[in-house]
Amino acid sequence: MYSKIMRESQLQEHNRFFLNMGPQHPSTHGVLLVVLEMDGEYVLDPQPVLGFIHRMHEKMGESRPCQGFMPNTARMDYVCALPYNHGYVSLIEKKAGIKVPKRAEYIRVITSELNRVASHLLWLGAYLLDLGAFTPILYGFDDREHILDILEDVTGSRLTYCYYRFGGVYQDIDDKFVEATRAFIKRLRKRYDIYEKLVTKNIIFIKRAENIGIISPDMAIRYGITGPNLRGSGIAYDIRKNEPYSVYPEFDFEVPVGERGDCLDRYMVRVSEMEQSLRIIEQALDTLPDGPVRSKVPKKIKLAPGDCNFAVEAARGELSYYLVGDGTSVPYRLKIRVPSYSNLSCLPELGQGILLPDLVSIMGSLDLVIPEIDR
Amino acid sequence: MIEIFENFKTNVMSLGGDVTEIDFEQRGYHLDVVLTVNTVRKFAQTAYDHGFYLVFVTGFHVLPETGEGGKTSGREVVYQFARYDRLCRVKARVSVPGDLAVPSICHIYQGANWHERETRDFYGILFSDHPNLEPLLLAEEDKDFHPLLKEEKKLKSFEEVSWPAQRPDMADIQTEPSSDG
Repeated sequence: MYSKIMRESQLQEHNRFFLNMGPQHPSTHGVLLVVLEMDGEYVLDPQPVLGFIHRMHEKMGESRPCQGFMPNTARMDYVCALPYNHGYVSLIEKKAGIKVPKRAEYIRVITSELNRVASHLLWLGAYLLDLGAFTPILYGFDDREHILDILEDVTGSRLTYCYYRFGGVYQDIDDKFVEATRAFIKRLRKRYDIYEKLVTKNIIFIKRAENIGIISPDMAIRYGITGPNLRGSGIAYDIRKNEPYSVYPEFDFEVPVGERGDCLDRYMVRVSEMEQSLRIIEQALDTLPDGPVRSKVPKKIKLAPGDCNFAVEAARGELSYYLVGDGTSVPYRLKIRVPSYSNLSCLPELGQGILLPDLVSIMGSLDLVIPEIDR
Repeated sequence: MIEIFENFKTNVMSLGGDVTEIDFEQRGYHLDVVLTVNTVRKFAQTAYDHGFYLVFVTGFHVLPETGEGGKTSGREVVYQFARYDRLCRVKARVSVPGDLAVPSICHIYQGANWHERETRDFYGILFSDHPNLEPLLLAEEDKDFHPLLKEEKKLKSFEEVSWPAQRPDMADIQTEPSSDG
């Protein structure tokens, strides 16, 4: 990357220049640097530079017993941490043959989906903020705050949850949780109108998002794009449906898709997904089984020799844990495949020859969480 | 579904890949493909032609074995591919030769660009024909430091970290009784 800057003198001949977007730029949503090769206001070659908050989670996962890695899982994607908990506990449970009580799986689904809604609300506000609209983030934060309060009561934390345990969840949910969740679902449904008037039908927003940053299905395959970014391009790929885990098959929900694969489609997919998540939560609350929330698990979980893969649908796409055991309780190899990493990797191709403000719109629509990318 | 699956299997085998079907319920993927450095690119092209997307590329480090061609590097590159339209996960792996060079697949799957750079960071594996094999996540000055390579005393042989051929043997390891929940 830096060697490119050496060519500065060559560039000046062609009236081109480099622009550093980040690592402290507000629309990079974290510590991400994008080095832009510019020709006037047009972007010729955007190259993301990663690693500013790299913490080597994989090494940590390979140097301590698997229980000790649980808190780490929430510190990758701090915006939607519970699916990260979910993937890891499910992986270890699969590897070690641990049974999970049904009530615990229901609670996992309810809390994961709440977390997904919170993540999409934050994204909605932040994306509009990128585009220059300040008000929506206040609405988004207002709604999201209710979810954080609900989750704080049962999990004990507001962002970096460590609520799931091997063989269940840390503690049972109470009536207060159920009531508050139902009240929130009612509230959010009433708020759709506000969002629609304020954002979805806003002509400035539509002009900034429509036909910008089109991801074609072939491009998605070449880069491994998943999640709402892929579904915006019309491919109904959702791990919850395609590779069902936990108790998701028991619920009736749809996978919203877009048509063109532009920023507006990605926006519409996320907004529709919130309603689908609410539907899942409602059904789960209605049919919540009684019983224990934690099964008996050996104090020292031994991971049998051999590999195992487990994928879940995080708010941003496919999260895969790939583990190789060696008979001890410490994983021999733990690979964490995070969705934003692949989603961002298409930026150099997506951002070629576009205007700089459109690049901001594209990056916002990709829903990037940088600590997740850097791990 | 089965037709496409069989078709892919035959194509991979015809280019010299060693294919094993895997119990998905147990291990989370369907096919295990063993490649050589000469077949990596052909395999990637076949996977692309069959509509597979790239899940990840990573490395793996085990005790080097002394075979006919001298000591191996003990390192492996592990690829995972999956499909959008149906449930099919494929793991492919290639043993890294002594000169640590493996052909890059990022001309077929552009997304492999970062994955390969990351694998170079963590394992020191060099991907030939990669357009920009510079450090991605680690700092420039740590170019020769590969954090996921294991210390000699922690290295295990490939057999020690593989599923045993007969599964029931593992039953006693998995269900150890507990005194405390």
